[in-house]
Amino acid sequence: MPTLTAEPARVPVTEITEKQPRLLLVGNPNVGKSVIFGYLTGKYVTVSNYPGTTVEVSRGKLRYGGRDWEVIDTPGVNALVPQSDDERVTRDLLLAVRPDVIVQVADAKNLRRTLLVTTQLAELGVPMVLVLNLMDEARGRGIEIDVAGLQELFGIPVVPTVAIDGEGLYTLFKTIHHAKVPRDPLAVIRARLLSSAEFARVPAQTSGQVLPQQLTLEWLQTREASLRSGVEHWLEAQAPDWPVPRSDARLRTLAARLEEARNLWLEQSVARFKKTAPSVLASAESKTFPLAFTALGLGLALFLYTELGRLFGWQTPYGWLNAHLESGVLPAAQSWLSGHHLGTLGTLLFGQLNPENHAYENGFLYPLLTQLLLLIAPVLVPLALCLRRSRSFAERLGHWSRDWRTGLPVLLAVLLLMYEFVGVIGAGTLVDALENNLFNGLLTPWLQAWVPHGLVYDFLLGKYGLISVGLTYALALVLPIVTTFFIAFGLLEDSGYLPRLAILADRLFRVMGLNGKAVLPMVLGLGCDTMATMTTRILSTPKERLIATLLLALGVPCSAQLGVILAISGSLSLGAVVTVFGVVFSQMLLIGFLSSLIIKGQRGDFIFELPPIRTPQLKNIWAKTHQRIWWYLREALPLFLLGTVLLFGLDWLRVPTPWGRLSGLDMIENALAPLVTGILHLPRQTAQVLILGFLRRDYGAAGLFQMVREGALNSVQIVTSLIVLTLFIPCVANFFMIIREQGMRKALLMLAFITPFAIAVGGIVGWLLRALHIHF
Amino acid sequence: MHHWLSQEITEVLEAAWTCAEQGTVTQERIAAEAKTIVTETLLDECERGGYLVRRNDEIRLTTLGRQTAEEIIRRHRLAERLVVDVLGMTLEESEADACEFEHLLARGVTDAICTLLGHPRFCPHQHQIPPGACCRQAQQQVPAVVSSVDRLDIGEQARVAYLSAPQFARLQKLSALGLAPGATVKLLQRYPSYVVQCDETQIALEEEIARDIYVWRAADKR
Repeated sequence: MPTLTAEPARVPVTEITEKQPRLLLVGNPNVGKSVIFGYLTGKYVTVSNYPGTTVEVSRGKLRYGGRDWEVIDTPGVNALVPQSDDERVTRDLLLAVRPDVIVQVADAKNLRRTLLVTTQLAELGVPMVLVLNLMDEARGRGIEIDVAGLQELFGIPVVPTVAIDGEGLYTLFKTIHHAKVPRDPLAVIRARLLSSAEFARVPAQTSGQVLPQQLTLEWLQTREASLRSGVEHWLEAQAPDWPVPRSDARLRTLAARLEEARNLWLEQSVARFKKTAPSVLASAESKTFPLAFTALGLGLALFLYTELGRLFGWQTPYGWLNAHLESGVLPAAQSWLSGHHLGTLGTLLFGQLNPENHAYENGFLYPLLTQLLLLIAPVLVPLALCLRRSRSFAERLGHWSRDWRTGLPVLLAVLLLMYEFVGVIGAGTLVDALENNLFNGLLTPWLQAWVPHGLVYDFLLGKYGLISVGLTYALALVLPIVTTFFIAFGLLEDSGYLPRLAILADRLFRVMGLNGKAVLPMVLGLGCDTMATMTTRILSTPKERLIATLLLALGVPCSAQLGVILAISGSLSLGAVVTVFGVVFSQMLLIGFLSSLIIKGQRGDFIFELPPIRTPQLKNIWAKTHQRIWWYLREALPLFLLGTVLLFGLDWLRVPTPWGRLSGLDMIENALAPLVTGILHLPRQTAQVLILGFLRRDYGAAGLFQMVREGALNSVQIVTSLIVLTLFIPCVANFFMIIREQGMRKALLMLAFITPFAIAVGGIVGWLLRALHIHF
Repeated sequence: MHHWLSQEITEVLEAAWTCAEQGTVTQERIAAEAKTIVTETLLDECERGGYLVRRNDEIRLTTLGRQTAEEIIRRHRLAERLVVDVLGMTLEESEADACEFEHLLARGVTDAICTLLGHPRFCPHQHQIPPGACCRQAQQQVPAVVSSVDRLDIGEQARVAYLSAPQFARLQKLSALGLAPGATVKLLQRYPSYVVQCDETQIALEEEIARDIYVWRAADKR
């Protein structure tokens, strides 16, 4: 599965104009292309979007042999015949960029798939180097590859590597200079088939330039016109005398026969170049594994005991350590810091002592440490050790997470850990520390003391102040939640868990006209719907992309919103949480089901590779999270500030009306009053929340959070407003993304459907709750 | 089986069926498709036999004609599967032999071959094979030599015989992941989705696709 795109477009690939030699990295997904890319290019990396898609193409520079090389990392492909838009990018790059050298990065243990891509690349006639990466995993499985034999077969350098440990990478670097045009082992078979009388119409060569015949034929057989059209245009320009066959049955038969011949060749070659020694297989478990496994068991037990202890008020090691810290260590640390005129730092780190319950509140250092060290680490550290120490454990874990009987408990454990990390540490500890302690406790009062009262004061620090509201919401309330979510999501992504989740979810998603693959955009949507809308491109048919986009816009709350919803409804009762999520989920199912009936088109095939379960590399997680946070700040912060300025303007501007002088906000509230108070039975000021929600969903949620804190809503109103806000129109950024992905017409249709639908559902739920006298 | 049908009539009916699959049936198209010379007399003969009705240039198969043609097509396409999968011939070679077989097979034999092949749904050219009574009853009690992946036991290994996907794109996707004729597969899981191991790759599939992958089962499983 392609990874999530965090970087918006900067420079389209086709704009590269300098006359530098170009090196293209090509290969299957998850074989370590990016690690090799990182090694070759060092730190200089730019990521650009391929025009027309959201697929990331990394470019970098390599200085070699006195020249600067342009290195381009392509999205992973299983074959050069594209099945979706993101796979199309690699084919287009091969055609448009015209590389000087192709480095194929391959998974040594999957020789058949490697050779399939090699034979396809060989047809292009570009100098090549073949890198057999993941040699350690191949050796662990007792697989030996005849490197010299492959080298001889294709006539190109073949370099075995273990990229993650740096093994063989210097050899690769030195070998680039020796790249050779590969021999095409299928050329003879192909020529024989093409020369048969039946296919005489297919020209063998065109205008002095060799055409990748088999590839061209296969490209032309691709189901979707959008995937084919690029090649058709290319053919018209490059080979005008080539009869462009769109649906010629004879050419289809020819393509099928060529493929048959290639399959036969692949089967023979794998048998020739790959040897397996079964004796090595048994000994792939380290001696320290039992120790790590025991530690994992203890860690899980500690985690569950602490979680249950919280519910039932048991004594837990977590509680004991906290009590010990609060009674002994923290006061001592505080007084030591105060003694060195560092009291403010102490307050920032540890919070302030609440004399009522003798607990330190709003600090972040010690709850963060205890939560990480006593809850998260005892599970994750032994788990990582177990995965490294035993391959069979990794395999079994992979099995447990995809079988429904064990998969559901695993999912529950993953969700619990995520709740602990994102919900408790992110939305609880960090938000409290930043919002109450840093912004409301220190920064804002300090600024308030300096800025004289007046317009500037109101603009920066007032009721809708740029700092007191805009910056506080964006940095203190939302940033910690998305940061922890991005870390957790990165871990899930790199561990190989998400494709297994897709298997578990497949049946459910079929009700909605989707398949399990849609789980990725949906889970991503829990981070940010805008980003998730971009990744609907991994779905293979337009129908699926449309349904997934609609459902994301309709019902999937983003991370910050989710945190706030959980916080608000959780403070009411479990019943409130169940009602809110039950209503939203059932509406998604219903709308998904109905739209799958209405929207024309096909559901895509559910076929995908399950990568092995691996321990995520912390370096990669850091790089991803870092990139995503920047992306978020660039996207969110300006909107938060713009929204605040807009609100300030609306509040400040007063217009004389028949009902007296009203502010812009009052007027909007008046205009929406019939809806808000009439249908939804909510206080008038909830209209503000809905407007904020359009700027950013989480902004609206944060506003609602504030209203609940002030006690402006009763429990039924809270549940109603949470449902409406979740189902309500997508935020501006998401809306723009929908326009970009689906076009203005469909985006407006979605808006026209979602808005009244959300209000209707909210109205009905509120009415039912009142009629049945249900309170939470 | 209609023993009294001449080979010419058989060819006309077969051509009419193939044309109907592709769209309209006209005299001209039948003449192009049939492996015999289509004369007015031959068409008259078919019409008298109650197999087809002619209106201007357009030709329509009657119920009897459709049933007869369906049987012929079924025999032909099953025969193609047989020579390609069991006898290991190429697609080119299969055509002539299938034509021979088509005239030789009796209904009982046709169903037996269908069962042996695991009730395939598509011929090697990816045309649909009309299902027979044996397919409808899904006689799974008779273990097939060639069976589809969804019928393997969990943990059972088998060699891919052929893929019978109706779309070329799906075929390519499967074969890019290593699921191609000759590869060894092992069924790992059936629910909620199928998971198969092919070489060192684990692949998740939905049931419909698992049904399209036909495999040779190991000898002791036959």
